[in-house]
Amino acid sequence: MGLINNIKSYSETLNLSAEKKGLFNSFLENGFPTIKDEDWKYTSLKRIITEDFSVEEKGNNIDKTDIDKYSLSFKNQIIFVDGKLITSPQIEGISISDYSDFESRNNDAIMNLNASLCSNGFSITVDKNTVVEQAIEILFFTTTENNFSQYRNLIIVGDNSEVKFVERIQNLNGTPSFVNYFTRINCGKNTNVEFNKIQNNTSNSILIDNVDVYQENDSTCDINTLIFGGSFTRNNLNFEQNGTNCESNMNGVSVLDNNQFADNHTFVDHKSAHCRSNEMYKGVYLGSSKGVFNGKIMVRPDAQKIDAFQSNNNLLLSEDSTIDSKPQLEIYADDVKCSHGCTIGQLDDEALFYMRSRGIGVEEAKAVLTYAFASEAIDKITVSEVRLVAQELLAKKLNVDLDFSL
Amino acid sequence: MLKINNLKAGIEDNQILKGINLEIKAGEVHAIMGPNGSGKSTLASVIAGKEEYEVEGGEIDFEGTDLLDLTPEERAHKGVFLSFQYPVEIPGISVSNFIKTSINERRKATGLDPMPAKELLKKLREKMELLSIDKGYLSRNMNEGFSGGEKKRNEIFQMAMLDPKLSILDETDSGLDIDALRIVANGVNKLRREDNATIVITHYQRLLDYIIPDFVHVLYKGRIVKSGGKELALELEEKGYDWITKEADKKWA
Repeated sequence: MGLINNIKSYSETLNLSAEKKGLFNSFLENGFPTIKDEDWKYTSLKRIITEDFSVEEKGNNIDKTDIDKYSLSFKNQIIFVDGKLITSPQIEGISISDYSDFESRNNDAIMNLNASLCSNGFSITVDKNTVVEQAIEILFFTTTENNFSQYRNLIIVGDNSEVKFVERIQNLNGTPSFVNYFTRINCGKNTNVEFNKIQNNTSNSILIDNVDVYQENDSTCDINTLIFGGSFTRNNLNFEQNGTNCESNMNGVSVLDNNQFADNHTFVDHKSAHCRSNEMYKGVYLGSSKGVFNGKIMVRPDAQKIDAFQSNNNLLLSEDSTIDSKPQLEIYADDVKCSHGCTIGQLDDEALFYMRSRGIGVEEAKAVLTYAFASEAIDKITVSEVRLVAQELLAKKLNVDLDFSL
Repeated sequence: MLKINNLKAGIEDNQILKGINLEIKAGEVHAIMGPNGSGKSTLASVIAGKEEYEVEGGEIDFEGTDLLDLTPEERAHKGVFLSFQYPVEIPGISVSNFIKTSINERRKATGLDPMPAKELLKKLREKMELLSIDKGYLSRNMNEGFSGGEKKRNEIFQMAMLDPKLSILDETDSGLDIDALRIVANGVNKLRREDNATIVITHYQRLLDYIIPDFVHVLYKGRIVKSGGKELALELEEKGYDWITKEADKKWA
């Protein structure tokens, strides 16, 4: 058996178009990526795909208490249970609907699989000149056991509009789950979009999270990724700047322990002149956890006056934790400013002693320093509820009872 | 309050303190002077509990407890405070948040509830006034981008907020201009009481013009080689350390 066979059986129950059949066959030919693929060198799916996940099982209804437990209680909520859209808000200037087909750049087997078989997800269109004050909360719940599911979402933001999202994928049963997720975001001219991902799923959950952002002139898009949970997480975050004066911001915080694994792959394609990108990923590794960071910045020949900044800072707080960090810069324009930096370290003993000498216990001092380390990225998040969750999850993960805010 | 008996400590194989004896009573100010490399900062760090120093012998009795049995935070909870020679920058934590955490961690250790916000704010305002600190300072990140003088003032500000029984000021005068020195010294003097004590570690006499010590000790090559009243500091200023160190070298040769 194994996942691929189950996926194959599932595909036979679907009435696929010729085009989708082609994509699916291409997935079958290549199979899931292996460590022989450069982009998956440090990230093995081998063990995962031998598991006997069932595919897109439909489960039962969900208790409101479960929703409340994982929700941040925003007024505007989009809720999916086992792929079914059960709640969607009415917001002026925005239309939200269930899945409808859309194009994507299908450049690997994972994306082919998503594009060919997935028909669950949302389509959001934000009208021109619309400012949505409160963040829209998106919740995906899995209730069935050992389930493999896919989501495929589209967000189109009209010119001069502003919108923010907070998203969470949550497994509600004790068994493993595997999600292959994709969202395409089209940022119109002069738009401002912020998408916050709280990745705090159960300790046996697997996630491959793909996001493609396409930007037009004068748009700003921030994707903030907070990884606290899950056993295996792979984020593929891609930006394509198709207009001038675009800004792409990526902030990531990973706090992992035990045997958790998280891989952040980012790609910024600077195709137009006078654009910026800022990337700040902070990793905190405890126990036997493992992290991967791969940040690629591409500056195309005509994309002059690019200002690209990338940093990946890591704290290894245990003997057995590891991080593989790889910056990649490909620059074909001559008038650009690109910088990158990567650090791997431990907590500063001098700072630790300083705090302890002020009466702060060693565990609390470590927590405060770790928080201070991560806060530079957390502080970029403009949705205060998300910052608070990040602080709480961090304190919980480090097992301290500390109030960080005054 | 503090009684140090034959304290020997070092780092790795290098013995720095070679048998320190020192007694400090409540209400007293002791100055520890000495040439560079004599062990002044080591003594301060060992009292505060810095772990990279290995204590080879002796004891540090503080109100009936041997500090050497305690962690740095436990020493702080008992009322020991070290003002660092080089205060550490901690980005991401504001001064107010840091101080609040220190105060409440100490209160937690002594079985008290966290300090009510109102009381904390009142105390912050009071101590800021004492040290001529303006308000914007509280929201700055701990020591980040502070000038040398600001860092030292921040140390004394924390000392004022934590209200320790024993304060050790390690080279607090270095990096301070004369105005800042006056403000800091004035703050320290106002915090002096019958029930607390201060150790002032300094290389120069200058600070002792403002913080008048009851006793002056000269530390040299890991030993206190001379003790006296405040006039000893003046004598050192005038004659330098040579006359003492030569004698000591002869004695310990």
